[in-house]
Amino acid sequence: MTFEVSELQLTIDKAGKVYHSRRGKVWALRNFSLEVRPGVLGLLGPNGAGKTTLMNIIATITRATEGAVTWNGADLQRDPDAVRAVLGYLPQDFGVYPNLNAVEFLEYFAAVKGLDAASARRRIDELLQLVNLTDVRKRPLGGFSGGMRQRIGIAQALLNDPQLLIVDEPTAGLDPEERVRFRNLLSDLSGDRIVILSTHIVSDVEATATEIALISGGTLVAHAPPEDLLRAAEGRVWEWVVPSAELSAAKQLYLISGTVRRADGVHVRLLAESAPAGAVPVAATLEDAYLHCLSTHRAHLAEARA
Amino acid sequence: MTKRARVLYHLARADFLERVRRYSFLLTLAFAAGLAYLIYTETISLQLDEYRGVYNSAWVGSLLTLVGTTYISLAGFYMVKNTIQRDQQTRVGLVLATTPMSKSLYTVGKALSNFAVLSAMVSVLAAAAVMLELVRAEAGGLEPGKLLAPFVWVGLPAMAMTAAVAVLFETLPVLRGGAGNVIYFFAWTTYVGVSGLTGVNDYIGLGFFMRQMGDTLKRIDPSYRGGFAFGHPNAQAAKTFLWNGVDWTPQVLLGRLQWVAIAIGIAWLSAVFFHRFDPAREGSRRKRLKNVAPEPAQERGAPAAPITEIHLTPLVRTAHGGQFARLVAAELRLMLKGQRWWWYLVAAGLFVASLVVRDVQARQALAAFAWLWPVLIWSQMGAREARHDTQKLVFSCAHALGRQLPAVWAAGVAVAISTGGGLEIHLLIAGDWPGFFGWLAGALFIPTFALALGVWSGSSRLFEALFTLWWYVGPMNHAPGLDFTGAARTLFSTPLYLLATVALLTAAYIGRRGKLGYA
Repeated sequence: MTFEVSELQLTIDKAGKVYHSRRGKVWALRNFSLEVRPGVLGLLGPNGAGKTTLMNIIATITRATEGAVTWNGADLQRDPDAVRAVLGYLPQDFGVYPNLNAVEFLEYFAAVKGLDAASARRRIDELLQLVNLTDVRKRPLGGFSGGMRQRIGIAQALLNDPQLLIVDEPTAGLDPEERVRFRNLLSDLSGDRIVILSTHIVSDVEATATEIALISGGTLVAHAPPEDLLRAAEGRVWEWVVPSAELSAAKQLYLISGTVRRADGVHVRLLAESAPAGAVPVAATLEDAYLHCLSTHRAHLAEARA
Repeated sequence: MTKRARVLYHLARADFLERVRRYSFLLTLAFAAGLAYLIYTETISLQLDEYRGVYNSAWVGSLLTLVGTTYISLAGFYMVKNTIQRDQQTRVGLVLATTPMSKSLYTVGKALSNFAVLSAMVSVLAAAAVMLELVRAEAGGLEPGKLLAPFVWVGLPAMAMTAAVAVLFETLPVLRGGAGNVIYFFAWTTYVGVSGLTGVNDYIGLGFFMRQMGDTLKRIDPSYRGGFAFGHPNAQAAKTFLWNGVDWTPQVLLGRLQWVAIAIGIAWLSAVFFHRFDPAREGSRRKRLKNVAPEPAQERGAPAAPITEIHLTPLVRTAHGGQFARLVAAELRLMLKGQRWWWYLVAAGLFVASLVVRDVQARQALAAFAWLWPVLIWSQMGAREARHDTQKLVFSCAHALGRQLPAVWAAGVAVAISTGGGLEIHLLIAGDWPGFFGWLAGALFIPTFALALGVWSGSSRLFEALFTLWWYVGPMNHAPGLDFTGAARTLFSTPLYLLATVALLTAAYIGRRGKLGYA
């Protein structure tokens, strides 16, 4: 009996990326393995964790120094076009051609991506509606605001109906209304394709991600559904009311994820194995789970070094 | 060090370091080394009637200085005329604009950085002068003072002027873009022409050396008629004369130093026009009107509609085979987008004129101009993605190397064929097949040259500088082998240009392949 595997699959196997600087080698990513299936994968991690390097490797912008990345079994080192043909990529920083208008810009990329003229025209109309730029479709991109450029970038990434969509800080510069709109779009799109979303805005991940990969120091710290990460932090998040004068001391003792000043003092949200005197347990948020996971990882690293 | 001097130093230093750590800086130095090589092979020489100087330290130093000031003041201008633009593109300018630094300090600092880059090129020529003197010395030993004095007193002031003028051009809205590049070229050729005719103490040093050397030769040979041919010699000099260099009297030195003072004045004056990265003043008036900041209601477009109302039609994936022509058309449109009506008018005028004019020399000159006119279009080839920061978008598309790069090249060739088509049709009608194939080799060579330099340097400047210079030496002054319009009709020029086209195309492919990360 034979059966066909139709589900999309991105596999990263022991991937590493080294950059050479004057001070020697710097590993941006090391021994990184991850298997991604359809849905939204939220990439979280501190600045310099290696998220953008990882996305650049998957998007075939840069080549991994070691290890392998495969798309549905095709090795990207040997056949990068296997993924390029089905890839939509929105980098964190990108430019536009200022003399082209929105339609001309998308028409150009439709040609570069190999779309036929009729499909491209229909798709561009739909995408401009989707990103709410229909009214300014004929205006040169040089006059677009940051948020409008970001939206044209999103449209560009969706041009070829990608099976793998990689978006790096996609909601940066968008107003709250457009951000919600984009989050909904990502959720809608993720049904039958892989979406990799990197952002520092935890609420974006909270709203869309079906799985989360937490990266720190170029290594994978955790890869799990958001519920699992939340469960790990459950019972370790507390709210504690302290006088303003004692806030500094509290910061020295505990990992604090938030503070709100009220009439009765400062309401401190903290992470700890056991509650300080007078603290009450509260439900963990994804931000709490992220901080918990990262602090546990750092503690393990410190122990290992000692 | 005073506070202002410290700011000036660090402003110039940071800008200089940013430039020298780019790959294109090596190409800049290679250009200077190339000039030295042309002198060594006597492709470029200096003759006074039938005389040339005996190869001693004074002659070699003066010759290389003159070559440096002449060619670097042209090509170097284009190479450094992007210092303010870089701050704009990197958005560093927005941060600088918020500091207490004055506009004049900024423009003088930028001119200083330009001066440092241009001086590095002059230094390469000075080092080459030492080697040339050691290799070809015909009289006396190496005299460092006589060899290097022209570089210091003529070369450096010329570079100061070029550096300051480049900053001035960048600050003036009319001269900032392509029009400024064209205006500089014609202003430069006029200035050089006038200096050569009058022998004034010009900043380039052409008239200065002409008068100094001419006076010496007149004392040796009273029949000297005042000829001063600089560039490619028509024939080898029959006689030599001994030139012991300029007598650097205080008056002469003051005459040269005045150019440094004028350069500082120009850099300082540029501050008056400098926009200090104010978005409302950055572009030309036309662009400002076109890109006027959107109204809040317009910016957001229509009120956000629920996503469920919008339908994205799934794409039927097709083979890439028939799409190449569309991509070439898209690249061509990208190249020509933003050109004003008068650009097309001039291009059409040159096309028609080079088709109908009967005089051979006039026709060749018009054809040469027809291929100078699109220089700013070709110079974007291979560098556009870096300039507009679209590499990640373009290079992550399928077949970026196999389809997009050839499409850019094909679009560039289409521009060459269209703009130079007047001569092409004339040659075809006349049945001048050697001329036609020579022209065709040129039409293939120019965009390929642009593409290779754009890919490797990531900037349009190098091609603009080298091509303008090449055009001046080749099609304009008919240096053998350097006339790519096919007018030279030398036996090997057409195959050589075709060979160079293949080599440059390969270089562009390898360069882009390296940038893609993946093959």
